[in-house]
Amino acid sequence: MRVNMLLAATALVAVPMLAHGQTISILMESVPDTRFVQEVVPQFTEATGIEVDIEVVNYAEMHAKLVPQLVAPEGSYDVIVVDFYWVGEFIKAGWLQPLDDRIAESGFDTSVYVPVLFDLVGQVDGTTYMLPFYNYAMGLTYRKDLLEDPENQAAFEARYGMPLRVPETWEEYKNQVAFFTDREAGFYGVVNQGLRPDPIAMEWSNYLFANGGQFHDENWNPTLTTPEAVQALEDYKMMISEYGPVGAASFGFDEAFNVAAQGQAYSYLTYNMFRTAYDDPEISAVVGKMELAPVPNGGLNGAWGWAIPVSSPDPDAAWQFLQWIESPEIARQRAMLGGSPTRFDVFDDPELNATYPYYPALRALLDTAHNFPVFTYTPELVDIMGRELSLAVVGDKTSEEALAAIQEEFTELARRDGKIE
Amino acid sequence: MAHIVLDKVTKSYAGGVTAVDAVDLEIRDGELMVLLGPSGCGKSTTLRMIAGLETISSGDLYIDGERVNEKDPRDRDLAIVFQNYALYPHMNVARNLGFGLKLRRVPPAEIERRVQETARMLGIEALLKRRPAQLSGGQRQRVALGRALVRQPRGFLLDEPLSNLDAQLRTTMRLELIKLHRQLGATIIHVTHDQLEAMTMGERICIMDGGKVVQVGPPADVYRNPASLFVAGFLASPPMNLLPAAVVGSDGGGLAVRVGATTLPLPEEYLQAYAGCRDRSVVLGVRPEDLHEAAPALPQITVAANAVEMVGPEVILVGTPEGLETEASARLSRAFRAEPGDRISLGVDMRQIHLFDPATGLAVPRPDLGFEPHRR
Amino acid sequence: MSALFAPTLAARDRRFGYAMAAPAIVVLAAIILAPVALALATSLFDYTLMNMTFDRFIGFDNFVAALSSSEFANSMVVTTLFVIAVVALEFVIGFVVALMLTTVKRGKNIYYLILLIPLLINPVVVGLIWRMLLHPTLGIVNWLLGGIGVPDIDWLGHPGTAFWTVVLVDIWHQVSFMAVLLTAGLSALPTEPYEAARAEGAGTLQTFWYITLPLMKPVIAVTLLIRLIFAIKTYDLIYIMTRGGPGDATDLISYYIYRSAFARLNLGEAAAMAILLMVIVIVLTLALFRTMRARG
Repeated sequence: MRVNMLLAATALVAVPMLAHGQTISILMESVPDTRFVQEVVPQFTEATGIEVDIEVVNYAEMHAKLVPQLVAPEGSYDVIVVDFYWVGEFIKAGWLQPLDDRIAESGFDTSVYVPVLFDLVGQVDGTTYMLPFYNYAMGLTYRKDLLEDPENQAAFEARYGMPLRVPETWEEYKNQVAFFTDREAGFYGVVNQGLRPDPIAMEWSNYLFANGGQFHDENWNPTLTTPEAVQALEDYKMMISEYGPVGAASFGFDEAFNVAAQGQAYSYLTYNMFRTAYDDPEISAVVGKMELAPVPNGGLNGAWGWAIPVSSPDPDAAWQFLQWIESPEIARQRAMLGGSPTRFDVFDDPELNATYPYYPALRALLDTAHNFPVFTYTPELVDIMGRELSLAVVGDKTSEEALAAIQEEFTELARRDGKIE
Repeated sequence: MAHIVLDKVTKSYAGGVTAVDAVDLEIRDGELMVLLGPSGCGKSTTLRMIAGLETISSGDLYIDGERVNEKDPRDRDLAIVFQNYALYPHMNVARNLGFGLKLRRVPPAEIERRVQETARMLGIEALLKRRPAQLSGGQRQRVALGRALVRQPRGFLLDEPLSNLDAQLRTTMRLELIKLHRQLGATIIHVTHDQLEAMTMGERICIMDGGKVVQVGPPADVYRNPASLFVAGFLASPPMNLLPAAVVGSDGGGLAVRVGATTLPLPEEYLQAYAGCRDRSVVLGVRPEDLHEAAPALPQITVAANAVEMVGPEVILVGTPEGLETEASARLSRAFRAEPGDRISLGVDMRQIHLFDPATGLAVPRPDLGFEPHRR
Repeated sequence: MSALFAPTLAARDRRFGYAMAAPAIVVLAAIILAPVALALATSLFDYTLMNMTFDRFIGFDNFVAALSSSEFANSMVVTTLFVIAVVALEFVIGFVVALMLTTVKRGKNIYYLILLIPLLINPVVVGLIWRMLLHPTLGIVNWLLGGIGVPDIDWLGHPGTAFWTVVLVDIWHQVSFMAVLLTAGLSALPTEPYEAARAEGAGTLQTFWYITLPLMKPVIAVTLLIRLIFAIKTYDLIYIMTRGGPGDATDLISYYIYRSAFARLNLGEAAAMAILLMVIVIVLTLALFRTMRARG
């Protein structure tokens, strides 16, 4: 009797699976944007009958989990998401399928993507390998309430001879940081994320751009020993030692965010997706008080892209999914849930702009954003930068020494990658 | 040397178990006292209390007149030899011997000298560099003994030191211990469950049972006059025959013991002592060596032979006296021959018998006539 | 007679023994020797995650590259200091705890349970918890210290303190390993020598020094060795707590090897460093065993 029931139950489960059959697997990182994808995915299954199996892991595990599947003739993931970090490596290794034919065939419109993002996680050297998923370009989050306080404005103007406003130059911002720092009261002008390797490397990149520096010239010759780069590192060191809380030299983005969210810092230069988190009363004591602005002179871009690996077991279904998830309606739905936008149609949506007043700022942020050097050895460059910048911050090396070391190793990597002779 | 006095020394444990119950005992300076009893009688616990390894629950312990209940073992200056030797497995023999001296901060040269001296005395000089694991049981025994000797303490406490040795070695060591005692004149308390060891070694024996002292005295005294059925049954092998009997009046105003179908007249010397037992049941105690074959001068008892054990110098006859269920044994001359089932008439040396009160288990006191064994 | 048969019998026995042990040896070889051999092979080739083929043999170039790298040298020094610090401190603390545990009569299991809790926690979680607790301005540790007037300590943001912070967290996490192993060792010791020592007049310290320590020597050796090997392999804690920073103050060798393989994608050089590390561990193991035996 029991056996019969069991058989019946199995049959009940098995029938729908047989009917639809198809399942695609995706490996994703445990971040808010992944959650938003999970929320809309049932609609895809309803529409197409294709089940979507999303495996969510920590960032730290992703690369190690992906590589064996990418190397295999047939891996277990139909769709993957790619950090801009890995783009150079994945392309060089030939792990991603070109999408241009499918795009042309389906009439998919890639012109909706903000160009700086499509350059980062869309096409490489003229071939489209990915569709942008979400952006994590860095911006300046600051205390709007303090900035707009007339008393502060008067005092600031008296001291620096310039108005207190959303900083338009790096100089203005540095003055603001100095102005708002009150160590006695435990309030800091800035909180930094000095942890090795990516937090410090990414954050410092903003300082580099803000000072008018660049990673390399148009011929890929590294330019990290320029006075601008040195000044950027001097600025960074000063921010941590003079205007930041104890421990900023070891903060990851979560710890730094918490300092800002607890109302202990005037500003925090960070990934734009944290903007919404400041307004979550469960984790923030500064609800409605933080705003997002572009880093003067433009900050660091960052994004994830959707891709179909060469080892994908079912690339057709995968493309079907990509087309759907990046369709205007679904992109809008994800943005509505709080997703970080990548497209003009989303940026221009009136309803979204009403819900998220910082959209113009975010748009401006993307418009001015600079990309990190994307080449085969991006992760290694980040590692080298993390080490050398951290050594400079703790005073084991001078800024010049640290930058010279980065310059030397970056040059070697660029050479190894064939970017320069 | 030490004069040790136990005054109502008691050891009781949580849960109401009393291991040692108000023991009174005096060990004289230079005396070799044997604590004898079956396992669990409290003899080892008593020794360990003297050593200071167990606390005393109540009562007092004096060494040389000083109350030492609360004193640390190190301040009692007694050396203990354990049954399992308890050698330090990680030290060689020399270091095992010298360890106690080292703890007492004796200069190394002096330690060396005394270790050599002790090793020579015990004949273990050749073993000084060896580890305990590389020694035989007898050698370990010597080292354990040496470890006690080398310290020249005021007394030695030996906790069944010979029981882990084989029979032959035990005999040898027993003699050596006696010799050592004589040589050193030290106070020794020797715990054993082996009555033969106790008899041969002790200047006095203290027999314990159920945590209590049952009898104390020189071995010969205890042997001749066991104070209770327990002592009578424990000492000697084969032990004293203990037969259910009754005291009856006999013709001519005397007393006799009726044991089974046999009536044995009591000697005149004991009439007064045993008068109180008249018409009462008693336990008759007769040592096997006080039953004689072919001794027509003695009162006779007829025994049905069950077994005849030839043990060399003598023959042990085990048989059932007429009218009894209880077996009795007799040590007969090596010439004696019998087959199981034979009925044998044995003479009883009535001057050596004891009567015990079956209710209390205690011996009924009688004059001690000394050993005047029956001569054939 | 039997002496005549002995050689052939012994030979047959030996052959039978090999036959019986063969499956186990094959399995061992497959799961232990094969990966080691593969690592050894990898270390001799220009083998990267981008080019996962054995087609460019480069001899000992990977070893030369590793040994001439100042980063490798630094992480060797940091690792050495770290290993010495955690093993020594954990041993001392663990031994004290173990000694205290042996005197506990009632509720021993409760103590064991409490002790085992940190050990059961994944090192990643340990790192995350402590990062949170040690947050300089928002963490509870500095808050509590502030209550008694201690100024905020920069636990992880300063090279000197960060090193010792990682050491302390490792101690918190791993000390029970030592304590539990040493407790097991202590409870297996014979009781007789202790009684003998007491009767001979040894005090607590003397007993510990002359009886407990020497008797525990084999257990101590094994405990130290296991802990030493695990300490050399410390990786998770660094990954979560410091990423080798600030500067390169906590850049342990295992974390450095990990980065060589997965950030630099250079599996060949990572394998070369792993082989060097393995040689060091083997040498340490042999040396420790030898000194323990020599002194014993």
